[in-house]
Amino acid sequence: MDMALETEGLGKRYGQRWALRDCSLRLPAGRVAALVGPNGAGKTTLLHLAVGLLPPDAGEVRVFGASPYANTSILPDIGFVAQETPLYRDFTAAELVTMGGRLNRRWDAALARERLASLGIPPNKPVGKLSGGQRAQVALALCVAKRPRLLLLDEPVASLDPLARREFLQTLMVSVADTGTTVLFSSHIVADLERACDYLVVLHSARVALTGDVEDLVATHRQLVGPRHDGGPIRGVGQVVRARHTDRQTTLLVRMDGDLGDPLWTMHHVGLEDIVLAYMDDTSNDVTTAQSAWGVSA
Amino acid sequence: MSWLIWRQHRKQLLVTLVGLVALAAIMVPSGLAIHRAAAELGLPDCIRQANAAATNPHMICESALERFSEQHVSGAFFGVLLFVFAPLLIGLFWGAPLVAREVEQGTHRLVWTQGVSRQRWALAKIAFVGVVALVISAVYGLGLSWWMAPLNLTGSRFGYVSFDMQGVVPIGYTLFAVALGVFAGTFLHRVLPAMALTLGGFIAVRVAIAALARPRYMTAQARTYQGSLPNEGSAEGEPSVIPTPSPSSGQAREVGDWMLAREFRDANGMGNDNFPDDYAYTWEIFQPASRFWPFQVIETGVFVALALLLFALALRRLRRIA
Repeated sequence: MDMALETEGLGKRYGQRWALRDCSLRLPAGRVAALVGPNGAGKTTLLHLAVGLLPPDAGEVRVFGASPYANTSILPDIGFVAQETPLYRDFTAAELVTMGGRLNRRWDAALARERLASLGIPPNKPVGKLSGGQRAQVALALCVAKRPRLLLLDEPVASLDPLARREFLQTLMVSVADTGTTVLFSSHIVADLERACDYLVVLHSARVALTGDVEDLVATHRQLVGPRHDGGPIRGVGQVVRARHTDRQTTLLVRMDGDLGDPLWTMHHVGLEDIVLAYMDDTSNDVTTAQSAWGVSA
Repeated sequence: MSWLIWRQHRKQLLVTLVGLVALAAIMVPSGLAIHRAAAELGLPDCIRQANAAATNPHMICESALERFSEQHVSGAFFGVLLFVFAPLLIGLFWGAPLVAREVEQGTHRLVWTQGVSRQRWALAKIAFVGVVALVISAVYGLGLSWWMAPLNLTGSRFGYVSFDMQGVVPIGYTLFAVALGVFAGTFLHRVLPAMALTLGGFIAVRVAIAALARPRYMTAQARTYQGSLPNEGSAEGEPSVIPTPSPSSGQAREVGDWMLAREFRDANGMGNDNFPDDYAYTWEIFQPASRFWPFQVIETGVFVALALLLFALALRRLRRIA
């Protein structure tokens, strides 16, 4: 299968701290993928490596088979909207469309104008005076006008209210559905993901915690509730993602690798949001670290 | 690229041009007045005659010089002093924000992910501000050379303010200030700190080179001469010697010479700053007036080289910004 984005042991270090480490993932072409993880998990670093703003410190990253850093031949194939959707605030939307035409060899100005017109964005007003949602739409329109094969969006909806967020994701979905563009967008807002994406990458503490097709992930993850459990193997369970215990009862979020063979457990379906949250949850680790840092005994 | 550069900098260019025109509106009439006054007093002719006769012009043109100085020199210097800061202003407002503002507002991630590489983007921008700086500084450097021509008759063009404002050195200073600003931006990523670094760095380098390197661009010349003691009546306190017309060794004195050191010596060649009882002759080292242009070219070269170095460093640092 054609891979839009591939990383192999990818790592990026700022001083002593690894912002991204041992990151290996494959994003097939044509997918709409969400990149989720808590703040500081390395989402932005991964996107900057993918768009070629940063050189890797370890491993490699390839976009349609080419290394993107300092490689202008791959730039026309990548559309990128950076965090907080930076635009020249004194430019009007019409001027930004002109700018795109001057800086790109392939540029569909008509597409950008159509999109902006249909969203009711004024062409002759400085974009600094538009609302956050409108600015995000302008940034997306500029990106789409490149007719890229891979669209990378860094927290495009973070600053938007729920209504604008839904509208933004809808227009995104519509525009990529027609063209078969691959999308990778990062978000720390886990809601809405199920509707928006069909592929998922979860980053946690600079590493890939989970990656895969959304349908597969939903099909293989289950919540099990049963009597208090000591942690021994359960037949049919491949991996325990998260375990919660009360005095008498244990709740597990697990990845199944066969039929459940233990009648003591009751099995529930879980949504994508719960799966993502389970992989992002490592409060037990954080608490232990924090307790020692504060000098408090457990 | 050129469309983007024009769109981003047109307002700034307009403000700069308005500023230059306003300055020209002051400098051209006042320059004409100074030239007229010098001609009316017969100053250029008098000094030419004095030089031809190897005489100190201060002796034969004294009254004209005095009247001219009273009318123009002191006032003029305060006005012209503004121009010492012109290269710095261009460095602060054209150089420092060039990269720093983009990174501060995150727009470098917009412009570097279009179809143009950041190296090409930076080269185009640097070329543009470089040409702006070059044109502005050439206009005002040569303009001030004209403006100050009559003043140059009354003293040395090697003086700190005088040397730094006319000729071609403003081109070197301005390019250096712009390059320092651009480099500071690639380093500090925010406009105000980049401006602060430009301000401090520019003043430090300028002062250091003017004070330490400039007197040594070429080996200074020495001359000795027999002086006659000044009249007992002129008790200025300052020991001074009225030089004889021709020195016993070395080149004849000229108004434009840059005096570096002077000693009053006794017959054994021992001397100091004070006037000795057994005064025999005066010894001095100087840079001759004829070296003004070589010195201008050397100083310009030093600053242009520094500017090129800083631009190259800025391009290197750019690769690591994300």
